[in-house]
Amino acid sequence: MLLSTKNMTWKVVLAVSTLSFFYLSKATAEVSIIVHPSNASTFDQETIKKIFLGKTKSFSNGRSAILISASSSDPASDEFNTKVIGKSSSQVKAYWSKILFTGKGTPPQEMDSNNDVIAAVSSNPDAIGYIDASAATDAVKVVATF
Amino acid sequence: MKTLLAVTSGMTMLISSSVLADMRISGYGSIIAGKTLGTVNDPLNPGQTRDEILTADFYDVGQYDNDITIKAESIFAVQAVMDLAENFSVTAQLVAKGVDDFEPEFDWYYLTYKATENLTLMAGRRNIPMYYFSEFSEVGYAYPWMRPPSNLYWWQVTQFNGVHAMYDFEMGGYSNTLTFFYGNEYSDDNVEMLYYDKLYGGSARTVNEYWTDIAGMNWNISGDNFDLRFVYFQNDRDRETIQQDGSIDPYTPFSQTFVGLGGNVSLDKFTLLFDWNFVEYDDALGTEFPTYLVSLVYNWDDYQPYISYSKADHERTKVPTEDLEEHYVLSYGLRYNFLPTAAFKIQYDKFVDQGHAPSGWAYHGDARAISMGVDFVF
Repeated sequence: MLLSTKNMTWKVVLAVSTLSFFYLSKATAEVSIIVHPSNASTFDQETIKKIFLGKTKSFSNGRSAILISASSSDPASDEFNTKVIGKSSSQVKAYWSKILFTGKGTPPQEMDSNNDVIAAVSSNPDAIGYIDASAATDAVKVVATF
Repeated sequence: MKTLLAVTSGMTMLISSSVLADMRISGYGSIIAGKTLGTVNDPLNPGQTRDEILTADFYDVGQYDNDITIKAESIFAVQAVMDLAENFSVTAQLVAKGVDDFEPEFDWYYLTYKATENLTLMAGRRNIPMYYFSEFSEVGYAYPWMRPPSNLYWWQVTQFNGVHAMYDFEMGGYSNTLTFFYGNEYSDDNVEMLYYDKLYGGSARTVNEYWTDIAGMNWNISGDNFDLRFVYFQNDRDRETIQQDGSIDPYTPFSQTFVGLGGNVSLDKFTLLFDWNFVEYDDALGTEFPTYLVSLVYNWDDYQPYISYSKADHERTKVPTEDLEEHYVLSYGLRYNFLPTAAFKIQYDKFVDQGHAPSGWAYHGDARAISMGVDFVF
């Protein structure tokens, strides 16, 4: 089937604008770090980074941290790894695979959706996770947004 | 492979019927095909030519020649961690390698006890923490190359049964881990040693290699953009080369010390990986093995092109012998992270044998090889 030039032009325009919208939304998406509402520990980016790399094992309240992450295919994962950890998701996964398969630590538990992360964090006083900033609810406490 | 599936599904069934133990299953693998590119004068049979041979895995004698194969270094491993109590777990890793026709073996099998938040004790079968990449040398997904340079990771013993005590602490804003370990390895029917026996025209029935009283430590320091690891250990060495008639070749036991410093440093888009090691025997010859690795990786989104140079030398300080085993491997390659859990890799290796040919020390021979494949984790 032949496409008319006009039709083709529209498709290109549509594709380009969708693409730019995608990049725009990707660039402006923010990720929020969430903990249980009862967790009164202090957090800064360095602390959060060390906790999520397993280098710091507990919160400033002295409790051991339980790490919850978005699934590796979730955009929030890339967002978090790039902005907070400063590495690509593949590099972070490679880092954890070294630790996991030598028995020196347990990587964050991956959840399928923002809601699952919220459910896991809101039900465990020692859990820490991250979600797309727009998905945050009152069930959890947002301690930082990047 | 069938056996592996049977054992794995058996394991899974066993686990799902147990409601008490909390269990986590994960795994890793690599499917890699490769071949060497030409022929070479056979260093041990002057006047004859043979295929170039690149040994990708010395311990298992996984080699590439002119015929393309996936057996040299393809691997599949399943790890199960069973939490028996909040601070007490059992870890088992069932590993199937192409070099063993994918017959699975429990290469890792140990208990972990978290005595305190900072002190972890482990007992059982694990890899010896020798070189920087030794403990995870088979987890292809964990590093950029096809394999840690095989001309350094060449020892006939890589695992042991023993105990580890790991202590984590902060110092100067850096994360530190001190690990002390002790163990033994009685490697009956050692594959690499039997290979060498045959290579030099021997016909031994089997070779048993014993590394005992392996005692040492690792000190790991990591900061924002670096990870460094110092290693020191010593152990006793003994060997039984058993001939067809049952006689055992004479062998003089000795002790060895292993020292090394390795790690990685991230500089903007570049990652520098390095490993320097020195092995010394207390034998009559004063045997020493200085080795080092330097590699640079460029991190460009999901693409990681890299170059690596690794050099191994063999010296004798108590006898006037200069020219023994010596070689380097120069490798170029690309890792492409095409999925969040899988990476495609392609690598070109140039192995240059600088050993002393007349005395038989240039026994590897030069080789150029291409290998490509996929590393994955789950």
